[in-house]
Amino acid sequence: MVATPVELLAPRTEEEVQAHLSAGKLVEGLQHMSPKYLEGMRRILTVSADTELVSAPSYLRAAQHAPALNNFGSAMSIIQDELAHAHIGYRLLGDLGVDMDWLIYERPPEQFKYPYAFDVPLNSWVELVCANALYDQAGFVLLSDVYQTSTFGPWKRALAKVDKEETFHLRHGRTWLRKLVKDPGGKDEVQRALDWMFILTLEWFGLPDELKKHSEQLSYGFKGKSNDELRQAWMAEVVPFMEEIEIEVPAHFDAEADEYVIDCPFPARFDEEKREWLLHQSPIDWDDVLARWRERGPMNRDYVRTLQRGYQTTSLRKAA
Amino acid sequence: MSRADETVWEVFARKEYEEPLHHVGTLTEDDEDLAIVCARAIYDEQPWIEMVLVPRPEIREAIRA
Repeated sequence: MVATPVELLAPRTEEEVQAHLSAGKLVEGLQHMSPKYLEGMRRILTVSADTELVSAPSYLRAAQHAPALNNFGSAMSIIQDELAHAHIGYRLLGDLGVDMDWLIYERPPEQFKYPYAFDVPLNSWVELVCANALYDQAGFVLLSDVYQTSTFGPWKRALAKVDKEETFHLRHGRTWLRKLVKDPGGKDEVQRALDWMFILTLEWFGLPDELKKHSEQLSYGFKGKSNDELRQAWMAEVVPFMEEIEIEVPAHFDAEADEYVIDCPFPARFDEEKREWLLHQSPIDWDDVLARWRERGPMNRDYVRTLQRGYQTTSLRKAA
Repeated sequence: MSRADETVWEVFARKEYEEPLHHVGTLTEDDEDLAIVCARAIYDEQPWIEMVLVPRPEIREAIRA
């Protein structure tokens, strides 16, 4: 069995969970959960752990292009952090009745729940450090929100360490970008990477609030900010930084509206082979984006297979 | 193939003797020596001065709110 049914594990009713939360208490384990809370918590933990896990093969592939050995060392240290962050999510899922080995090593690639952005390959050192500045910033925005507001105690406490480490990844990205843009060739390369990566990270935060389905994420306090608020929080970090290093991105701060505004069609069509946004073609809606996400992208199978290869080919484990 | 039946260990550690041992995570491993090696490898984010492992089945709850 890949997961014990939620009804067998979570004894509380909806009313009991809401009363517990209203009293300002955290949920500390299955004994405090209703089936619906457990189901929602499994979903958000899976997305979080899968995202951390798949960043490892993605960053590892790009780290091969490190300009020097010490740079490779920094990248490896980031990758090791990401694996440890994934482990936090999976071990908590194990305690919530999901088979951890199935989740990590036996689950089919297309069932992994990380953002589509990681399915698009990072092909150079420049793209890797851009990912540190964009993707790790997105992870940081999302996880800081969970850390500050989550009602699930074991996760909230584990995230203190994650928060600290993501700050380092972000600094790695920004330090490199500041250095790269001083050289005209480097600046061009950063601009080319941002041209496809910026909009892809905007998508990371998911459907706009008016289309969003899983409302229990907010009502249960799984997180504090809505998708659109998180997207704003991310732009508030990334857009001013890109302006500072004179890299163009399709978003700006509108002082009158007091928010960041996206300056291109969004959502938009993406050519995943060429890694280009087709901004001048007919507009699409979020159903088209969801269809692309469900299909997964070019690197999905490759990355998941890389992670699962050892487990699936080790005779030791199979003999047991 | 699943490890669902293997022992879960609770891992506790501290950075100085002035602070209490606190929970840093869990790991799944039947073999005691491997559990110790795994704990050191997985939870190496701080220069701990003490780390202890407790098999979850040995824990007795006296109070649970």
